[in-house]
Amino acid sequence: MCGITAIQVRDAALRPKLGELITAMLGQVADRGPDSAGIMIYPEKRVLKGVGHPTTLATEWRLHEISGTQAIAHTRMATESAITAAHCHPFVVGDALSLVHNGSFANHHTIRRELTAQGVEFDSDNDSEVAARFLAYRMAQGDDLEKAIRLLCERFDGFYTLAIQTPQAFAVVRDIIACKPAIIAETPGWVAMASEYRALAVLPGIESARVYEPEPEEVYLWTLT
Amino acid sequence: MDIDLSTTDVRTTNAALRALPAGTTARLVNPAGKHNLAVGLTEPITVEIDGTAGYYAGGLGKNATVLVRGTAGWGAGENLMSGLVQVDGDASQSLAASAHGGTIVVRGDASLRAGISLKGATVLVGGDVGDHCGFMAQAGTILIGGDAGRGLGDSLYEAVIYVAGKIKDLGADARIEDLTAEDVELIADLAKRHGFDHIDPENVKRVASAKQLYHWGSP
Repeated sequence: MCGITAIQVRDAALRPKLGELITAMLGQVADRGPDSAGIMIYPEKRVLKGVGHPTTLATEWRLHEISGTQAIAHTRMATESAITAAHCHPFVVGDALSLVHNGSFANHHTIRRELTAQGVEFDSDNDSEVAARFLAYRMAQGDDLEKAIRLLCERFDGFYTLAIQTPQAFAVVRDIIACKPAIIAETPGWVAMASEYRALAVLPGIESARVYEPEPEEVYLWTLT
Repeated sequence: MDIDLSTTDVRTTNAALRALPAGTTARLVNPAGKHNLAVGLTEPITVEIDGTAGYYAGGLGKNATVLVRGTAGWGAGENLMSGLVQVDGDASQSLAASAHGGTIVVRGDASLRAGISLKGATVLVGGDVGDHCGFMAQAGTILIGGDAGRGLGDSLYEAVIYVAGKIKDLGADARIEDLTAEDVELIADLAKRHGFDHIDPENVKRVASAKQLYHWGSP
């Protein structure tokens, strides 16, 4: 089990509060992944990762003071590979593409070998890194983010709820049987997703937000304007 | 009795609910998606959850009535034994999983795998259900007021699913059967009792097991 939460802030007035919002969201998915956590902040492209309870890490990082347009965070309960900062999500690759994953891939070794043969280099032995490298590789070949994600769904076997951010975009996708939880909330001011509703309940205006679950293998994509 | 979940933890709240005598009513305010609300109740009490519930709302209960005045997370009414769990909004995945008895009502939509491994309860969804509704359901009734997703009734045993809307596709060993007079009577009764006026009891598809995957006695 892992926890995912991510937000794209559309309302410029809310951007100075990005750190506050993502800190509160992270705290609500801490139970799902108490061993380590990581976060990527845009547009700063700042990556923070650490071993320990996510709430303690957020305090150490002074996460609540950060401002920005987007953030994507992960709390990990390791089922695959070691508990170290290097194994923490998000995996940040290519042109500042970051990916967080709840689930496990069955055929990641095969895809890793294929990518390695194409000259792609890896930082860890983690299965989720393979998904991030796959997307970056496809985008380097000329695919847009949406097409790269669709190809990922075709190529990867296993369980996944993925949240992906680039400096300009935010995407969510789940496997064909939607094995792992995901919920999205949207208001004119922000769009956010999390493993569980309680992480969205902390956001301003949630009472009037459009709240829904992403459909299996459907790509949800929002672009910053 | 009101319990404010922004100041009282779930364990304390559930202990307080279990201590209530039959016939009493309690309201849980500020649920904010917290899990395991009003689970394992045994007395005929009524618990109103005033907002969005997290996972397993009203699960494992017998005799009690649990009313969610918002949406519910994964596994609402999971393993219910008797009584009623009602969700006014939408319900997430695995609604009423393994529920043995009682009634689980969702006024909105339910996500994937509603009624998975159902063991005797009655499940009513006013709106649509996601994929794999009724997967491996052993006994009980599922009535869907809207449309059903892919793989409806995959690997069904003795449970029966009724769908008022469209079915995307049927799962393995599920088939559409003719409605009997008893089916129409049952659907009419359920629809009337729970205020699902949009369901026309005579215009519902009955989905049951073709019994090619499992056999009673000698094959």
